[in-house]
Amino acid sequence: MSAPLSATLHRRRRRIEAIVRLLCVLATLIGLFFLASILLTLLWRGLPALSATVFTQVTKPPGSGGGLLNPIIGSLIQTGIGTLIGTPLGLLVGTYLAEYARASRLGDAVRFVSDVLLSAPSILIGLFVYQLLVVPFGGFSGLAGAVALAIIIIPVVVRTTEDSLRLLPDTLREAVIALGAPKWKMVTLVCWRAARSGILTGLLLAVARAAGETAPLLFTSLGNLNWSVDLAQPMSSLPVTIYNYAGSAFEDWIALAWTGALLITFGVLGLNILARSLLRK
Amino acid sequence: MAGIVMHQAGGAARAQVHSATEGPPVRISIRNLDFYYGTNQALKGISLDLPDRQVTGMIGPSGCGKSTLLRVLNRMYSLYPGQRAEGEVVMDGRNILAPDVDLNELRARIGMVFQKPTPFPMTIQENIAFGVRLHERLSKAEMEERVEWALTRAALWDEVKDRLHSSALGLSGGQQQRLCIARTIAVRPEVILLDEPTSALDPISTLKIEELIDELKQDFTIAIVTHNMQQAARCADQVAFFYLGELVEVAPAAQLFTAPRHPRTQAYITGRFG
Amino acid sequence: MDESMAGHTVRSYAEELSRLRDAIARMGGLAEQQVAEATRALIQRDSELAAEVVRRDAALDALEREIEDFCIRLLALRQPMGQDLRLIVAALKVSHNLERIGDYASNVAKRSIVVASLPPLGSLNGFQRMARLVQENLQGAIDALVRGDAARAGEVWAADEPVDEIYNGIFREMLTHMMEDPRNITAATHLLFMAKNLERIGDHATNIAETVHYAVRGDTLPEDRPKADASAYAVVRPQDRPAG
Repeated sequence: MSAPLSATLHRRRRRIEAIVRLLCVLATLIGLFFLASILLTLLWRGLPALSATVFTQVTKPPGSGGGLLNPIIGSLIQTGIGTLIGTPLGLLVGTYLAEYARASRLGDAVRFVSDVLLSAPSILIGLFVYQLLVVPFGGFSGLAGAVALAIIIIPVVVRTTEDSLRLLPDTLREAVIALGAPKWKMVTLVCWRAARSGILTGLLLAVARAAGETAPLLFTSLGNLNWSVDLAQPMSSLPVTIYNYAGSAFEDWIALAWTGALLITFGVLGLNILARSLLRK
Repeated sequence: MAGIVMHQAGGAARAQVHSATEGPPVRISIRNLDFYYGTNQALKGISLDLPDRQVTGMIGPSGCGKSTLLRVLNRMYSLYPGQRAEGEVVMDGRNILAPDVDLNELRARIGMVFQKPTPFPMTIQENIAFGVRLHERLSKAEMEERVEWALTRAALWDEVKDRLHSSALGLSGGQQQRLCIARTIAVRPEVILLDEPTSALDPISTLKIEELIDELKQDFTIAIVTHNMQQAARCADQVAFFYLGELVEVAPAAQLFTAPRHPRTQAYITGRFG
Repeated sequence: MDESMAGHTVRSYAEELSRLRDAIARMGGLAEQQVAEATRALIQRDSELAAEVVRRDAALDALEREIEDFCIRLLALRQPMGQDLRLIVAALKVSHNLERIGDYASNVAKRSIVVASLPPLGSLNGFQRMARLVQENLQGAIDALVRGDAARAGEVWAADEPVDEIYNGIFREMLTHMMEDPRNITAATHLLFMAKNLERIGDHATNIAETVHYAVRGDTLPEDRPKADASAYAVVRPQDRPAG
């Protein structure tokens, strides 16, 4: 290769490098712009109505003040119970896939179904639970809402549990077995412990997702303008309340809707940050 | 020179079962062992004795079956479907390949240390206690004693005695491997299998572990697979040379490395192929 | 040293082993030459040749050092095993044997200068025969080492007896000469020492053969080889000497 030829080649490459880098930076800036504008809008619109009453008052008819206490509590309850139901199931299925069914047909089928559920429109899940738990019992309920959220949580936990466990080297497993441990002890006492940060991260992400879902709750817990922690009765939730308030014609409701959106967004953001810091450990 | 050579050229080698040292009793007797990965036969008719409280080294080029043989001894292959062993491996009069053998109990008697150090994600104390708890019920005081004993035998006690409750993942590579050895001996096995235990370590750590092996063989029967012929020469009492799934020659280390009988052994140890 | 096996994986190592064999062969050749010429200097009463032999001994010493250094280097750097290890250790030992042989030959040459200045004593046939036998054995032993021929080594190993017998004869002859006439004592004594030197050279050749056997075969020859050196027990009384 003669010297002058390689020099032009280098110049051309440097130019292309600069162009590509420019495009990447531009794309990033555009994405960041929208992200930032969403957050800023939320802050701008949501902060004015943010006060102690938001957390102490239940939802009231427009014009009479009121806060978001029952939607907040309702969301916490339904998400909490959904997590309680969904986590053990997701964890065990993920463990099964990673430790017992790496190359089996059944394992492949389960993995496929789980992945489909993961990206299924959440409204379908809502409709499914509606048929299952609302129609036969003649009414909407917080429990049905919790179940719908559990169904959203399960595939996420399955996927992250399986991925975290698969990251563990087989030499670790062999070392445990070589000590004379039965397989279930190897899985529960060592593998889970070794993969715990990954599994926990997955769980937090699942919870963050479930906390923000609206569509499934529309058909299952419906929403409740009054204070209620009865699982057998309709229960209010933040996303549904925002949906209702934002579409109304009342200014104070709209303001509260923004505040609710602010709360959800920063709650989810907080969970994500927590998950990421755990993963780093 | 005469002292180095222990057998005359036409010397005695038992016809059926290869054993180089007639003296000590035999801890494990491998008889006519075949091993298959699916349809591929990886070990062919292996017969070998592991003398009690001696180090048996296993050498040979890559893919010759030495690691496979080691993993038959504690039936590691049972984790993987499609791998099967035929023949006998006799310990204390029982064939450990028989289907009615309790694998967990077997592995408490035959321990294994792997090439890559694998500390469990727990404290140092818990690492050692883990194996013990699988098989014995000890009081807190007894357990602490056992942990100290195991770490002392593994030449690690002085370095970690002040941080038994810190994570094992914070140890250096050589320390982690000694931890794995301590973990294995804490269970008080009779046999310890070492699968290339120092190939991932630096030279000083390697020598420390070789020193350790020399001490451990007072109480344990040891089988070590190694790529490094000089290590086999330093550590082993008897050395078995494998090639393409067959046992070519087994002899006391001094003899095998100065005057091996089989031309293939000669070729391998002098570097005339593979 | 089965040459039919595949060549060494590391070519430089194989070359080094080859160079070692060549060095031993050279040193052996030089030692043989010294023995031959020292004997010739004696028989032909050639003092110039004898001086040449004495001078050339330094070359043998240098070769021994060279081979020793080379062997130590090979041991440290190559971690030899099996037949390579045995070859290198054999080279170490053999180079020492050859250096001693050189010293003996040089000693013979020195003494032959003295003997040449004295009136001739006896026929020296024994010396010629012994020197030739010894040279043959030495050549055979070195050859066996270079070619890895254990059979040849075995032959040499068993062939020391005739040398010893000739030495016994010379020993008796010299004693007789000394008893006949005290003026013979100087020459006879020197000749005695020279015969002893030749006999020692023969022993060294046998040692080399033993070393070669071990290097090739990996086991040792039996302890008792045929020996016939009875000079330690030789007594000649005045009434035994031949008449006249």
